[in-house]
Amino acid sequence: MALKYELQEVEVWDGNYAASHALRQAQVDVVAAYPITPSTPVVENYGQFVADGYVDGEFVMVESEHAAMSGCVGAAASGGRVATATSSQGFALMVEVLYQASGMRLPIVLNLVNRALASPLNVRGDHSDMYLGRDAGWIMLDSFNAQETYDLNLCAFRIGEHRDVRLPVMVNQDGFITSHTAQNVRPLSDEDAYKFVGVYEPIDELLDFAKPVTYGAQTEEDWHFEHKARQHKALIDSRPVIENIFVEFEKLTGRKYNRVESYMMEDAEVAIVALGSTVESARVVAKYLRDNEGIKAGIVAPRVIRPFPFDAIRTALENCKAIGAMDRSAPGGALGMLFNEVSAAVYTTSSRPIVTNYIYGLGGRDLTLEQIKDIYRELKKNADAGEITTKIQQFVGLRGPKLEFFETRRG
Amino acid sequence: MVEIRWHSRAGQGAVTGAKGLGDVVSTTGKQVQAFALYGSAKRGAAMQAFNRIDDEQIITHEKFMLPDFVLVIDPALVFTDNITLNDKATTKYIITTHLSKDELISQLPELQNKKDRVFVVDCMQISLETIGRAIPNTPMLGAFVKVSGMFELDYFLDRMKKVLSKFPQKIIDSNMQAITRAYNEVK
Amino acid sequence: MGIGNVLSNDKRGMIELGAEKKVGWDEVTHGMVLHSFEDDATNISSQKAEDRNYAQFNSYVATVASWRVVKPVYNRDICIDCQNCWVYCPDTSIISRDKQMLGIDYDHCKGCGVCVEVCPTNPKSLLMFAELHNLEDAIASWPEKKKKEEN
Repeated sequence: MALKYELQEVEVWDGNYAASHALRQAQVDVVAAYPITPSTPVVENYGQFVADGYVDGEFVMVESEHAAMSGCVGAAASGGRVATATSSQGFALMVEVLYQASGMRLPIVLNLVNRALASPLNVRGDHSDMYLGRDAGWIMLDSFNAQETYDLNLCAFRIGEHRDVRLPVMVNQDGFITSHTAQNVRPLSDEDAYKFVGVYEPIDELLDFAKPVTYGAQTEEDWHFEHKARQHKALIDSRPVIENIFVEFEKLTGRKYNRVESYMMEDAEVAIVALGSTVESARVVAKYLRDNEGIKAGIVAPRVIRPFPFDAIRTALENCKAIGAMDRSAPGGALGMLFNEVSAAVYTTSSRPIVTNYIYGLGGRDLTLEQIKDIYRELKKNADAGEITTKIQQFVGLRGPKLEFFETRRG
Repeated sequence: MVEIRWHSRAGQGAVTGAKGLGDVVSTTGKQVQAFALYGSAKRGAAMQAFNRIDDEQIITHEKFMLPDFVLVIDPALVFTDNITLNDKATTKYIITTHLSKDELISQLPELQNKKDRVFVVDCMQISLETIGRAIPNTPMLGAFVKVSGMFELDYFLDRMKKVLSKFPQKIIDSNMQAITRAYNEVK
Repeated sequence: MGIGNVLSNDKRGMIELGAEKKVGWDEVTHGMVLHSFEDDATNISSQKAEDRNYAQFNSYVATVASWRVVKPVYNRDICIDCQNCWVYCPDTSIISRDKQMLGIDYDHCKGCGVCVEVCPTNPKSLLMFAELHNLEDAIASWPEKKKKEEN
């Protein structure tokens, strides 16, 4: 039996420590992990909890992130509750196995502490790694602060392990800005947390000798398409399950999560769509601009990045006039992911708001409240003009001459 | 919102100090944030840590701040770091140094018109004499308690003991001495 | 092919590989997981292969006989039941019960010839023949014992 961990009603935890406690409270059976900044403390602390007797789990040390996720796949296929954490290059090395995990429908929980991808080498936060994993067939949740990282980890086990879902789940948090920023966090008691997460019920576990199974069979043309289609449907169909689990979580904690979070959108004319801690900073600015400049500003943020909330994001945005989609990842010769996906969603509305793309914060570059104010002011100009008054894609907070691309042909 | 910037060297405990301060502040019902600008910096490299304290949940995540307090816990950094960066007319400075306030200010022109807002305390000497190592973060907390007037000393000591409860009693006691001495010695 | 005479109730090689029932995306198994047996398999390792209730995707049920162009033929009269072929066969296609050689599993044998290579008898108890060669003709044409060459 695991020892009881004494918790205060309010703890001051950073995102990593909050994630570690969620893994401890979920009584994860196996963590196979390889350390990488800024995610290291998630698994380091879990290892400490194991060593100190606070969890009856196994910490498996491996030689790479590829092996870490492989170990997780093996442990999950064998019938264990499994979690790990990584960032950046480590995540890149894991990618091959991410597809195995989702294809085998193994409800592994991965804490992805977002960090830039080299080269140039950089340990600080941006969303390059998150974007790299977006087609891997995982459910992807995004937290904006340490409390949410804790909460979403608990929800992640419930969502992934749900019998109608059975898919791996990533919980994203911003490297350093969330992972290493200590803030007030209200944890659940160990009993309440475990009761919420529930006892793990394995399906098709390899160690059930009464029902031997083959994992990872070869399909070729005859079967592959059908299996990937079923997997995609499971991902799309997880939407109501996620919503129900969020409702249950709210009943327990009073903290409400939605597939798409909207702030001040009731009457918003202009909206920023963003991910991670930027969502919160933008709230500060939107309030300021409403109070001081009369700009009806709002924020829309995908809480669930995959399955992409095409339906909910469209509903959230269809009544505003101009949208700034803010991507914190080098777009690699394209418009940013949020721009593309948000544009596709609002294109199917009759109002078709104007969408522009802001690339910002790469490699941990600070996004100041002043910069967010300027973005909103530009969006307001677009809304008033009824067309895009700038280039479609602009880089924000970059030294040197203004970098911007593509012009609208709508006007 | 109260904003605090720590100037430190990696390894001197600014992050632990900022988090410890956050821990204590949170027990008063306030909301806190403690973070740092570091990463792959090696021990000894100049770095900064930050606190925000507010009644409301803190949702700003910009690193940029206009500090109300600047805490310098390494004696050399006042000469190499830009400690007055983004300061306000009310920003208070607590600087660890073996010099007297007048001696220090005479060498730092940027502080000359801020004399009434500059406080000095020798956190290095205090930590060496109490904790036995050059860990100037806890003495700085004692000086901060005095200068900010944010807490009664006894309240702070009591809460800090809880924050340090995982450590051996000897370490807790020496840290309490360090905090108390700095509280009394800051000028 | 042939083996049905030796063993009864056997699901071996019932269907051509790839001829399994094709179902739509809504009916495929969860996570491409394939079950090996139709019912409770506790202690299945103590059951003989022909008595096991193999599931339709177990390769035991599928035949790959058509892959083969040459086949091993087994001659009971010479065999000493040493089990060398059973040990070496990469496709578990030597059927042996109670250390008695029974014959070749022609549903899974790919005609690699390893069994012939490792057979220690003189003449060999297993020899390769063309796939269409009649078994009785093959036995009738078996070579004589070779005499030790005098140095």
